[in-house]
Amino acid sequence: MAWHAHAPIGEENARRGAALAFGRALDLLPRFDRAEVVLCLDADPLGPGPDQIRNGRAFAAQRQARAGAARFLRLYVLEPVMSLTGANADHHRPVHPGEFRDIAAWLAAELGAPLPRPDLPEERVRFLRAVAADLLAHRGTALVLAGEALAPELHALAHWMNARLAAPAEAIAPVWPPEQGGPASLADLVAAMRTGQADTLLILGANPAYDAPADLGFAEALRQVPFALHHGLHPDETAALCAWHLPAPHPLEDWGDLRSRDGTAAIIQPLIRPLYATRSSAALLGLLVGQLDLAGHDAVRETWRASRAPAEFETWWRRTVHDGVVPDSATPRLDPPEPRLPELPPATPSGGLALVLRPDASAWDGSFANNAWLQECPRPLTRQVWGNAALMGPEEAARRGLRQGDLVRLEAGGRSIEAPVLPQEGIAPGVVVLSLGYGRERAGAIGSGLGANAYALRRTDALWTVADAGLAKLGRRAPPVLAQEHQKLEGEARELLPLVPLGEALHDAGTSPAHELDPPGFYPDFPYEGYAWAMVIDTSLCIGCNACVLACQSENNIPVVGPEEVERGRDMHWLRIDTYVQEAGGEMRPGFQPVPCMHCEKAPCEPVCPVAASVHDHEGLNVQVYNRCIGTRFCQSNCPYKVRRFNFFGYADGQEYRNQGAPVIAAQRNPEVTVRARGVMEKCTYCVQRISAARRTAEKEKRSIAEGEVVTACQAACPTQAIRFGDLNKPGSEPSRLRREPHHYALLGHLGTRPRTTYLKRVRNPNPALEEGGG
Amino acid sequence: MSATADKPTLPPEASYAGMIGRVADPVLERRPGRRWWIGFGATLLLTLGFAVCLAWLFIEGVGIWGINTPVVWGFAIANFVWWLGIGHAGTLISALLLITRQNWRASINRFAEAMTLFAATIAGLFPIMHLGRPYRFYWLVPYPNTMEVWPQWRSALVWDFAAISTYIIFSILFWYWGLIPDLATMRDRARGRIARYAYGAFSLGWRGSARHWQRHDALYRAMAGLAVPLVVSVHSVVGMDFAASLMPGWQETIFPPYFVVGAMFSGFAMVVTLAVLVRRGLGLQAVITERHFDGMGKIVLAGSVAMGISYLTEWFTTWYGGDRIEYEHLAYLFTGDYAPLYYVMLFCNVLVPQILWLGRMRRNIAVAFVVSIVINIGMWLERILIIWNTLSHTHLPSMRHVFYPTFWDWATLGCSIGLFAFLFFCFVRLVPSVAMHDLNKRLHQEKEARG
Amino acid sequence: MSEGRVLLAEFRDPETLLDAARRARDAGWQGLDAHVPFAIEGLTEALGLGPTRIRLAMLIGGVLSGAFVYWLQWYSAVLDYPVNSGGRPLNSWPVFLIPTFEATVLGATLTGIVAFLISTGLPRLHHPAFAAQGFDRASQDRFFLAVADPEVDAVRLAAALDGLGPLSIREVG
Repeated sequence: MAWHAHAPIGEENARRGAALAFGRALDLLPRFDRAEVVLCLDADPLGPGPDQIRNGRAFAAQRQARAGAARFLRLYVLEPVMSLTGANADHHRPVHPGEFRDIAAWLAAELGAPLPRPDLPEERVRFLRAVAADLLAHRGTALVLAGEALAPELHALAHWMNARLAAPAEAIAPVWPPEQGGPASLADLVAAMRTGQADTLLILGANPAYDAPADLGFAEALRQVPFALHHGLHPDETAALCAWHLPAPHPLEDWGDLRSRDGTAAIIQPLIRPLYATRSSAALLGLLVGQLDLAGHDAVRETWRASRAPAEFETWWRRTVHDGVVPDSATPRLDPPEPRLPELPPATPSGGLALVLRPDASAWDGSFANNAWLQECPRPLTRQVWGNAALMGPEEAARRGLRQGDLVRLEAGGRSIEAPVLPQEGIAPGVVVLSLGYGRERAGAIGSGLGANAYALRRTDALWTVADAGLAKLGRRAPPVLAQEHQKLEGEARELLPLVPLGEALHDAGTSPAHELDPPGFYPDFPYEGYAWAMVIDTSLCIGCNACVLACQSENNIPVVGPEEVERGRDMHWLRIDTYVQEAGGEMRPGFQPVPCMHCEKAPCEPVCPVAASVHDHEGLNVQVYNRCIGTRFCQSNCPYKVRRFNFFGYADGQEYRNQGAPVIAAQRNPEVTVRARGVMEKCTYCVQRISAARRTAEKEKRSIAEGEVVTACQAACPTQAIRFGDLNKPGSEPSRLRREPHHYALLGHLGTRPRTTYLKRVRNPNPALEEGGG
Repeated sequence: MSATADKPTLPPEASYAGMIGRVADPVLERRPGRRWWIGFGATLLLTLGFAVCLAWLFIEGVGIWGINTPVVWGFAIANFVWWLGIGHAGTLISALLLITRQNWRASINRFAEAMTLFAATIAGLFPIMHLGRPYRFYWLVPYPNTMEVWPQWRSALVWDFAAISTYIIFSILFWYWGLIPDLATMRDRARGRIARYAYGAFSLGWRGSARHWQRHDALYRAMAGLAVPLVVSVHSVVGMDFAASLMPGWQETIFPPYFVVGAMFSGFAMVVTLAVLVRRGLGLQAVITERHFDGMGKIVLAGSVAMGISYLTEWFTTWYGGDRIEYEHLAYLFTGDYAPLYYVMLFCNVLVPQILWLGRMRRNIAVAFVVSIVINIGMWLERILIIWNTLSHTHLPSMRHVFYPTFWDWATLGCSIGLFAFLFFCFVRLVPSVAMHDLNKRLHQEKEARG
Repeated sequence: MSEGRVLLAEFRDPETLLDAARRARDAGWQGLDAHVPFAIEGLTEALGLGPTRIRLAMLIGGVLSGAFVYWLQWYSAVLDYPVNSGGRPLNSWPVFLIPTFEATVLGATLTGIVAFLISTGLPRLHHPAFAAQGFDRASQDRFFLAVADPEVDAVRLAAALDGLGPLSIREVG
């Protein structure tokens, strides 16, 4: 019996790079909370993936633009396609993947490595020189991160530079795979399948028939296996080729355990009894080793009992299950040896068209393709929903005579796929980008048949960058579905999301009329004697991850409407992340602006409602009375923020998209929140059900609601704590404090709406050496 | 216009009985011709189509239209404003021309009022169809209810509801009161028993008594006096649906008068269209003469000039005001997604009617017909563009989205025109299309003037 | 409305009718009326009919309706169900005037209609005058003078109308 493992999005390059540098496998965990200058070479520490929350939180701790005490790290990013990290950088340069070798070498040399300095264009040299100077000036707090797409040698070079800079990073032995006795590779398995060595194959929770690199030919090899069995959540592409498919329980339906990035272990306890007749993988593996009735619960207990004294186990077990985390289980920090300077990899051609493959922010490697919430969640930056597209820079597209929505054929290694073009800022010339996880044939009712399958062009020797890809215009069109069509802010419109340098932001220069919170008006003041709820969103901290959008969706029973409806311009998200690009310091910089309801004190939506369905409550909430609403939509037409959402069809109630009306999906709804009917307007309520719950608790205890007691769903989910909610009548509450910041502003404040949701301007921390010279 | 008032518009050899015969005979004596049956059948089909549109709308929901998250208003509101605008001319012709003693109105006021009635009724359907939950429209009415809530009086839609329901009730009464003496005439001329009874009942037993006439005249003139401010208020309120908002391109003080002028303009254009058709269809060349077209042409021309001035004022104040979003809106009108339609609208509403400066063209019935149709296309475009341009291009660029009409959008608009025509086909066969008593009064005056 | 005997004199044109009416009025006869196909200027004066108070009724009806609707808005928005609607004052009087105006017009109109019906006695589908031969032309091209004075008979009427050439003189009722 042999054990093989396959993960389409792995960390081989990073591991091999660590081995090159340190002689053994090590994971280096960056510590943003101790960093002041960070350089990312195609690394995306803030992007989707297992590190996003930890890195995001630490990054936010170091991006606090506050008049009292500002801590603001500077972030440089060089990458072929703008990632979330790149979007939040102070300086961003799109770089062709072939250039990284020379850039890394040049930087290492500048930091003192005995390497020949490669020839680089003057503009690039000026940029790198400024970055290197900044890094060196912050020894001890400067950090260089290399992305998985870079060659192992470049990872080793980054380790060398970090050692040189005494960078704030912690080394641990990799949590997975184990250093000895780990699984063999998928390539070995395919070889065994081809030769007939593998006559019985059990596939647990993997879908290699879809997501293995195309050159392996896994699907064909699988057909030659006499007995193949697939165990997984869904009957997917692999299951279709196997003799048997065994349904697995969802992780939330069964006992289990897991380890986080730094090794901390957690016990998973089921949230619900299994909905279907499923068997866990523990039960299946138990059968294989002769334990005929092994349950997940027993297997997990046995695993953890092994290392514990029998007398204290029960107590330990109960506490751990209660806490959710195994105490002190993090992998011990190691003191890594001095990294060796690696041999440089051979130069890669930087000409030709490079196809860059990336995990998808929603579908990831394809395993989340059938999740309707994720599919309808606009991808960061592109704002595309329900599919993927061939991304390229606007200049590149123009040079090739391509418009948004033109279908192109992408070719590499004799295989080809078709995808629509989507021009996007921040992509290097000569690069076309495609995200993984699409083109699935058997994902389910939601995920099948969406987008283009990038795995078809992926090769074992080119997992992330396929050099010399071919691109041909097909003459047909298939415009991608975008949740936001216009992103550019020019001229005075930049007041909507001001992008200001750190020094300027904290210097109180008076409020511009467009940002006035309380412009003069005719209307009387309404007193708010109890609570006055308000929200302040720090746009500097918003990394654009969409966690708030989905948290809101799950909390508030927001229905999925499907691609056709989104294409018509209809969507139901109560909270959206407006993404704007504007010129700053000589480059186009994106910014994220989460927009929930503003809960205006002088709400334009209220006086226009003929039936008083949109009214104000005594705590300043702009409430929508669903059963009073007759659907005139006057409120939305008069809302300058356009935050209201209308049930054009019974999206949640009778006319659902695809399988969204299934009882099992209805069962996931939050019982605290009304499900809205057709013809009714709805919108953000500041999670009024949570306010109401807190009020009940407080009243029972005969006290007032404490600061921080009400946490909205979006606020709870935000990894960077960019969203702050509280009572304006308490001078010490978070919103009250943030409203006193000099860079606080009201969106469209000059309209006199007096919004309760307000913003802090997006602050950047440019390097003066680059800003003046133009980089 | 005053010149028209003094100049005789009716043929000198005309007699009272002759005039009545011309108007009443097509209804009472002549059988409907083939053309009428074809028109009646076709518009009946469209009316059934309208019923299908309504049924599908109520089954599926307003999602069958092209409206979307930012552009939550669409055809329904544009159609409403358009139809209501058309529904203004009839009352204006009757009332304003009555008060200003423009007695040539007698030839056209009846069918113009019928037009008002049909158009205003169809207009009144659209805001209800537009609702997400149309079966709850009566929540706009203030009545004591178990929910213990009232309409929200600050909403322009409540004003709308008050204004339009008042207007429709008023228009029905005004039209009917003007019709009563003619119904008596029809009763007295009808030969069929059913017709006699029906006309007799609807004429309320009118016997032309001097007392009837005195009170009729007092009431009718007082109603005409009320009609003018009412008509002005109704379309002002419709203008305020937009103006009493915060949106760029809507929040303009010029909107109420501009809407009233627009309504008059499109309404008169529709009167011209119908006058051409009624005149030809019923053979009323002696009753509706070139002079009438001359008079209406002058009003349409004045409307066009007023519209042009309104557009200019809008552009100027936006430019002069210097507000970012208003300025962007202005630029969007001329260069945005709907710019071609905007140019077509300007062509239809401002440029084409200028041909009416020439008296020869005003009196040319074919020209009048074409111009009036062009104007009504232009005015429909104006209404939809007011909605599209503002809602597609709002304050936040993130929420900008273009409206794409669906089949049901077009079908509902087209079938509503069919319904209007259907009602008109019924109208011309059931009641005299011209106010006979007013016509003969006018004839009497002209005879007196001639001595 | 006199229910008794009515004399009807028929004329071909309005001018003659006006002359006849003036003669009848000057003779001091009671119960004068005319049946004509269209409104004729001066006919009311010629017959000596008093002024109508329809417009006064309309004014009163309109003002009362308007006042009621303003009160209704004030009562519902300020007293009965006060809600904070966009921070506007509870008594938003400038906009309350709009429904008030519409109510005034509607109230005046409906009052006028009712006043008309009361003062004319309509609807009344049957009337003795309809029985008169040729009365169906009263709504078309004939002009009738009606005299309902018990002291006047057809002969006196014919004598009074001497020279005006009535087409006929009939008695109905």
